[in-house]
Amino acid sequence: GHPQNLKCVTHNLHKMICTWDASSRGRHGQTDFCYTTNDLPPPVCFKTKEKRVEIPVPERSTTVTITTNSISGTTFATKDFEIHEKDISFVPLTPRILSLTPDFSTSTLNVKWSDNGSVFPYGLDAFWQIQILRGEAMEKVMYYSKLTHEDIILSWNWTSDMPLECTSHYVKIRCYINVTQFVGPKDWSDWSPVEEIPGKDTDPNGNGVFPQDTVVAVGSDVTICCVHEEGQQIQRMTYGPDIHPMIYLSSRSSAIRVLNASASDTSGTNVVCILSEDEMEGTVLFVGYAPDIPQNLSCETSNFLTIKCTWKPGRPSGLYGNRKTNYSLFERISGKNVSCKVDEMNRERVCGFPVLGDQNIYDFVLGVSNPIGQTKSSLLVDLTKRVHPKSPEKLTVSGNSSTSVRLHWFINGSFTEVRLLCQIEISSGRYERKLHNVTVPGGNFSTYTAQLNALHPYTKYWFSVRCSAADHFWRWSDWSRVEEHTTLEA
Amino acid sequence: MAAADSPSAALRHRDLCSRGIRLAGKMRLDVINLLDTYVERQGLDASASVAAVEGVPVAAVERWDEQTGTQRLLENLVAYRAFRALLAQMLEEQREQLGEADTTLGRALAAVLLQVSAFTYHLEELLRLESRGPPGEEGAEPPPPPPVSLFERKLRGLRVLRELAQWALRSTRDLRQLAKASPGSGSVPSPPNSP
Repeated sequence: GHPQNLKCVTHNLHKMICTWDASSRGRHGQTDFCYTTNDLPPPVCFKTKEKRVEIPVPERSTTVTITTNSISGTTFATKDFEIHEKDISFVPLTPRILSLTPDFSTSTLNVKWSDNGSVFPYGLDAFWQIQILRGEAMEKVMYYSKLTHEDIILSWNWTSDMPLECTSHYVKIRCYINVTQFVGPKDWSDWSPVEEIPGKDTDPNGNGVFPQDTVVAVGSDVTICCVHEEGQQIQRMTYGPDIHPMIYLSSRSSAIRVLNASASDTSGTNVVCILSEDEMEGTVLFVGYAPDIPQNLSCETSNFLTIKCTWKPGRPSGLYGNRKTNYSLFERISGKNVSCKVDEMNRERVCGFPVLGDQNIYDFVLGVSNPIGQTKSSLLVDLTKRVHPKSPEKLTVSGNSSTSVRLHWFINGSFTEVRLLCQIEISSGRYERKLHNVTVPGGNFSTYTAQLNALHPYTKYWFSVRCSAADHFWRWSDWSRVEEHTTLEA
Repeated sequence: MAAADSPSAALRHRDLCSRGIRLAGKMRLDVINLLDTYVERQGLDASASVAAVEGVPVAAVERWDEQTGTQRLLENLVAYRAFRALLAQMLEEQREQLGEADTTLGRALAAVLLQVSAFTYHLEELLRLESRGPPGEEGAEPPPPPPVSLFERKLRGLRVLRELAQWALRSTRDLRQLAKASPGSGSVPSPPNSP
């Protein structure tokens, strides 16, 4: 019954668990266990029935005396052990996964666990090995963190290369703590208990093709699986018109892998799992592009009530309906945001933004997003330099002399912030055409007027007018309707 | 309103039947064209066999030849009211899924929906002539189909159009039977062949 093979392991550098065995198996009574603290008498002694005790980790070394006794208490044998720090192994406590949360829409697993840092001194380096299993072992990933003498909840995301519904995913973790000042052997902890995210192939009502009706970027590699009844045979799986080789996942799940997916038609690409003559499951995959950066973003106002922004969308996304690209116009100075109602089929995009009180400077951000990505384009605009009036209306010509006329026209809009430059086109006969410029103060939904002199008596003239901003020219309005007038006889 | 069996009612009955036959024939052609467009635009396999779908009226009928005229009209009316709702649902889904990207299919769907609505009204006219009057629509509106995946929607649409094409054929035959009988007679002997 001699005590032997004494081994001591610490999980937290403070306490250590020592175990031993006895040379003969026979029936023993209680064991007397004594240890010195830092080799200073007197030793600490106690009785134990187990061949396992927990005692403090010595700073340098400790002497352990183990005495085995018979049932009646007579001593069998006594053995002393000299334990130095280098003889003690350091194995961190087995970590435990606090939560394993699936996000089926992105096929992502989120793992949360505690680093148990409170039992360790500040600043130790901890290495975590996270193993993902799917059927067989699949992926082992290293994660690094720094212990802070507090229990910190660590979180890590892993994105699967296939929908989580396809088959069950399992996760386990273990850790290694680099205690540089600890001279004894250091090792990885045990693996944590395994946590599982069950696949649809474990659900009696889980049949179907996954992912369901999802959107991916052109060029993606996509795994699509078919979950079916136990014992059912998949005849074939097609992606669009093509049959694809199948990958076995489990007795109820097989997958196909589509590499470098190309853009789908407007109604998406059908992925069909044909199980028998008239039984099939399927899904629709929409393969498109992230939105392009809007090009030639330009904003102007025709009436100082609404600002009209236009842009070229760039490469079409190939996504339509409720997956189409959405646009919003955000103005930084006022903080106002407007979502734009855009006609997908119109080459040029248009969005209206209200003119805000007496604000002339607008710092626009055009936000663009669709299920695959987002982008934006910015533009700083001084509205008084971006006036593009509507074409003048209600042009009338009145004449009270044989050589002069007076024109009147109306422009829809509030132009009190600017002066208007208007150009009058005077035509008489086929080739005689003159332009006459006149500058008028901008009005609020006003009628404007101009006098033309030095005309020929009793002559038929055609008049038309267009306007723009006088001080910062941006664009002419369209010409007004032509108005005909004959001057009086001399 | 003319008594059910007066000469003008018989004339109106025959006129409604023959116009109905023409309507059903045109509708069938348009549905078949729409079916081709639908299969192509939805990326479906034209030969795919699609299981029966709840809520989609089935054109096949047993002992077709033993049906009375009123039975024929009532079954037709129930079916086309259902198709009117199903096509409206398909049109809405089409707009939601594709927006302005596929107006060809949208316009074709809308055109057939218009014809189905017109044919439904036509059947109601015939039933009024039968001095029975069509059953009210309260509660007749089929419950909106349960939410299903996009692929199942595509298959359901395929099934709707296939059955509608068959119904247009059956309606033509039903109306020919009806044309032989006077209005309000209810029962119609018919030769022993079924659609």
